[in-house]
Amino acid sequence: MSARASNPEYVNARVRSRRAVLFADEDYRKLIRMGPSEIARFMEETEYEREINALGTRFSGVDLIEYALNRNLAKHFDDLLDWSEGRLYDLIGRYLRKFDVWNVKTIIRGIYTETPTEEVSTDLIRAGELPDSTLDRLLEVDEIDDVIEILGGTVFYEPLSEAYQEFEETGALVSLENALDREFYEHLLDDLGRPQEGPDALYVEFLEAEIDFLNARNALRLARSGADLDPAAYYIEGGVLFTQAELSRLVGNYDELVDHIADSGRYGDRLGGALARLREADSLIQFEHAMDAALLEYADTLSSIYPVSVSAVLSYILAKEREVENIRAIARGREVGLTEAEIEDELVIL
Amino acid sequence: MAKDVKPTRKNLMAIEDRIELSERGHGTLEKKRDGLIMEFMDILDKAQDVRSGLSDDYEEAQKKINMARAMDGDVAVRGAAAALQEHPEITTEAKNIMGVVVPQIESSRVSKSVDQRGYGIMGTSARIDEAAEAYEDLLESVILAAEVETAMKKMLREIETTKRRVNALEFKLLPDLYDSQEYIEQKLEEQEREEIFRLKKIKEKKEQEEKAERADTDDEPESGDELEQATAGGLPGGD
Repeated sequence: MSARASNPEYVNARVRSRRAVLFADEDYRKLIRMGPSEIARFMEETEYEREINALGTRFSGVDLIEYALNRNLAKHFDDLLDWSEGRLYDLIGRYLRKFDVWNVKTIIRGIYTETPTEEVSTDLIRAGELPDSTLDRLLEVDEIDDVIEILGGTVFYEPLSEAYQEFEETGALVSLENALDREFYEHLLDDLGRPQEGPDALYVEFLEAEIDFLNARNALRLARSGADLDPAAYYIEGGVLFTQAELSRLVGNYDELVDHIADSGRYGDRLGGALARLREADSLIQFEHAMDAALLEYADTLSSIYPVSVSAVLSYILAKEREVENIRAIARGREVGLTEAEIEDELVIL
Repeated sequence: MAKDVKPTRKNLMAIEDRIELSERGHGTLEKKRDGLIMEFMDILDKAQDVRSGLSDDYEEAQKKINMARAMDGDVAVRGAAAALQEHPEITTEAKNIMGVVVPQIESSRVSKSVDQRGYGIMGTSARIDEAAEAYEDLLESVILAAEVETAMKKMLREIETTKRRVNALEFKLLPDLYDSQEYIEQKLEEQEREEIFRLKKIKEKKEQEEKAERADTDDEPESGDELEQATAGGLPGGD
């Protein structure tokens, strides 16, 4: 944790200018009508110009767009950490740790499949807390236990060390990946308590929602798959929708699980439509889409109520992530021949 | 060719045996051909359904993976695929349909539950689950199509071979054998007729010779009397 005083006013001032250049609805409507090469040219005239030009010699088509988006995202979030100090740095850092999780998973998968280092490096999104030097060291090793050694001193070392035993027995990465994800989510709410008002209350409410949605998604996926799994292994503490016992019980009964979410006072209204479609269609995709939209809306509320707080920064982080995902969805969707209507259905826009 | 055969009774008997064997074989092969065709028609119907199912499964799998790549990103989908640990296994056994050995393909570890695919559940989405599931269904369809279409091809080859054999018997071997049989029979008849004629001639000749002999024998005693008579009568030749 940074020992200096927190500086939310400064960071939020800079975030506001960054937020102003995020894509609007009409930009998405233009993009949907373009092909991948036109989208890349369009992006050259926007905020993504530098990344498109830097990567243009190595990649082309939608791969160029995707890698440019990731690199731009990493740059923006790196800037947030550079500007932030004190408690604000801590709060932003712990949220951006999801990119450390992504990077460590990508590196471990690369070792598992003996993928060349350069390909793995291209897939990294250097937006988390781990410095570039650590990531570069991780890229050099050939064994997963060496990765864990290098991560000594970070929050990932212990959970990975424990999960490594199971990995050795089963040969499957799932234990390592779940350990990383769990570590990220379980530390989100560290030392925040349960404030009842003020910007911290909204921030906590948002994080609780993210954890609740994650638990709901995992529970629904487990219930639908019929797999004989211990639901407790996938339960994340910190939410308000389920207790561990409730989740274990509900995983065995898909309909009851859906009803439990629908009956929730906090989320029932926001997710009601998606839950109704879930019952009819039995596909979780639309439900996940609805949860992403609900989280984005939550985050947007944060920024409008407390515009000079960590909540506003978090709202920007989600909005920027959503922009990257929307542009990627449009580019890949056009590449594979999806119709404009199909692509529009998948976008998450406020 | 019929005329290459020596027209003997022994060859005729051998040819008659071969005709009987070939006619029996022809009947059996015709039944085999018809049975194979019936089995083939059943497999053909199944193969058409399987092939159509395969096309549908392929379209669905392509659609799902395209959506997953679009919404979750190509990197995330590749990453989830890279985590796969257990690969499908296939074993084959042989099955016999009307004498045709066809494969029976058993697969294991094709369809997996969400925890068996290797990727972490918390860090992935339902889109990746559905794409993986669609490809597992596709793989099952491919395995079934391989079994059914291989059986179909083998049956077809066997039907062709059997048809050729039936036709060879019906239009080549048996007609040649019948021709040979007819030729030998004709030749033997001819020989018999010649033999009869020859014997008849011999008999006639013999009878004539006997007759001639008899005639000679009758003449000799008549000459002695005549001589006695001449001597007694003072015929010249006497005193």
